[in-house]
Amino acid sequence: MYEAQRALATPSRNPRMAVVIGRLLGVAFIVCFGTGVYSHFLQEPLPWMRFPTRPALLYQFSQGTHIVAGIACFPLLLAKLYIVFPELFASPPVKSFLHLLERASIALFVGASLVQITIGLLNTYQWYPWPFPFREVHYALGWVLVGLLVLHIGIKLPIITRFWSARHEAEREATDAAGATEAPGAADAEAARLEAVRLWGSRRPSGVTGRLLAWIDATPAAPTSVSRRGFLTAVGIAGAAVVGLTAGQTFAPLDALNVFGPRKKGVGQQGVPVNRTAQRAGVTASATAAGWALTLAAGGVERSFSRAELEAMPQTEVELPIACVEGWSQLAVWRGVRLRDLADLVDADPDASFRLTSLEQRGSFRRTQMGPEYVRDPLTLVALELNGETLDLQHGYPARMIAPGRPGVLQTKWLSRIEAITA
Amino acid sequence: MSTEIKRMRVARTVLILIGTAGLVFGLYVLFDTVRITRLPGVALWIGAAIVLHDAVLAPVVFFLGLLLRRAGHRATGTILVLVQGAIVVGSIMTLIVVPAIVAQGLSPNNPSILPLDYGRNLALFWAALALVTTVWAGLLYARSRRANQRPSSRQS
Repeated sequence: MYEAQRALATPSRNPRMAVVIGRLLGVAFIVCFGTGVYSHFLQEPLPWMRFPTRPALLYQFSQGTHIVAGIACFPLLLAKLYIVFPELFASPPVKSFLHLLERASIALFVGASLVQITIGLLNTYQWYPWPFPFREVHYALGWVLVGLLVLHIGIKLPIITRFWSARHEAEREATDAAGATEAPGAADAEAARLEAVRLWGSRRPSGVTGRLLAWIDATPAAPTSVSRRGFLTAVGIAGAAVVGLTAGQTFAPLDALNVFGPRKKGVGQQGVPVNRTAQRAGVTASATAAGWALTLAAGGVERSFSRAELEAMPQTEVELPIACVEGWSQLAVWRGVRLRDLADLVDADPDASFRLTSLEQRGSFRRTQMGPEYVRDPLTLVALELNGETLDLQHGYPARMIAPGRPGVLQTKWLSRIEAITA
Repeated sequence: MSTEIKRMRVARTVLILIGTAGLVFGLYVLFDTVRITRLPGVALWIGAAIVLHDAVLAPVVFFLGLLLRRAGHRATGTILVLVQGAIVVGSIMTLIVVPAIVAQGLSPNNPSILPLDYGRNLALFWAALALVTTVWAGLLYARSRRANQRPSSRQS
């Protein structure tokens, strides 16, 4: 085990680097967790929860950030695992019951982190090759991971505080430089190895050095300071590349660089990407039926409006994004009737939440709820037009919801019924 | 010093307790919202992720690093590290884009999902990476040659 650790030692595998990358990864995890929990409660609010409706781009920003931070986790997590990999071969493997728990928590941390970012990424590709439900598991693992992150910080706190600042690093560079005057390469490598062994905790050599290890030992070592800088630079460039070449699917200024994002701005009917199609939702017949009407209900009052009747009402034009949980978003111009005007026509209580029902036959978002903060917002529309044209069937014809700061799945398409919920 | 040790102990205890609470809550949510028959699948994926990383990915990276250092033993350290870095950047990008290509092959349920030519873009990305690396390595090589032509101040 010791030999394995020694063979794996390289200049970039040191505690300082673990702290440097670990900090960034920790921040990315916290950002993902915070934005993820926000998105979760928007979709499944507790009864007392109210949400800000401004800025109208809030959800676009929070969920776009969720995905960007999640993608940035790929280079960061792989870098972190690369740095600490020799720890896998710690000897003795288990020192005490507490040590066993620590190692078990790290194993779960590593496994759950890899699964979390992988299923998150594949969800943005709408590819689900796993035998469990995505939404529930992704949310639960979010809590598991944030718990494990805090636990991990608690366990490693002495190392983290010791290597938090670069001071120690500078001292070591000085020692390396002093030892490097005679034969730079070899001395550097040996110093790095000894340093790594010393810092990770020194272990006595045990077992025989096999031919493999001899071969490994005969391989020229990487130059110390260059390889540390190179490691950080590579991680930085990889991070910038994976983020920069995908984030354009939500952050418009990066649109031209969006060559790997799963969505592209402007691609889709009427220039807006589509998630659930009319065919999949099973609404092609019901949404185009001549007898379609939108029913509004509150208390005992119930009224139905045909599309022509809705068109005859005062129309409002708003510019709002469709922002998907998958991280893409598209700003668009919507035209239709203010929901609060419709609510007033059936004398709905101003503090009432509403239930929105789609023509969809099934699906978890067939029926959704909307709190009074959105119902009463002047930007919330029953939209009839998109970007100057009659709403496309794929975008929810004959009528759909559009409200500020809400996830796309809650912008109910193919509306059928809107009713006030009496508390 | 002893107050410092004490403070460290308190901080660690608090963090470990909060962390454990988060972990337990997460597991509760998992058991509460996911059908029990689906849970072995979650465990399987987590276990497989550990095995895939520790037994496949990490050793492959390790031996690739060795091979590269052997193959490039005559190159200067800086150029070697540069090439290593480029391979790392390209590999991570590939890791993220290849699933998109696979998912695209499974015919997504509407044309606005995965609308780009990801295979071509990935090839272009590698080409650009190779170009930048070559130019950068060339500059480093020229600089080290110039430096070598001057009398060395370091070695006698």
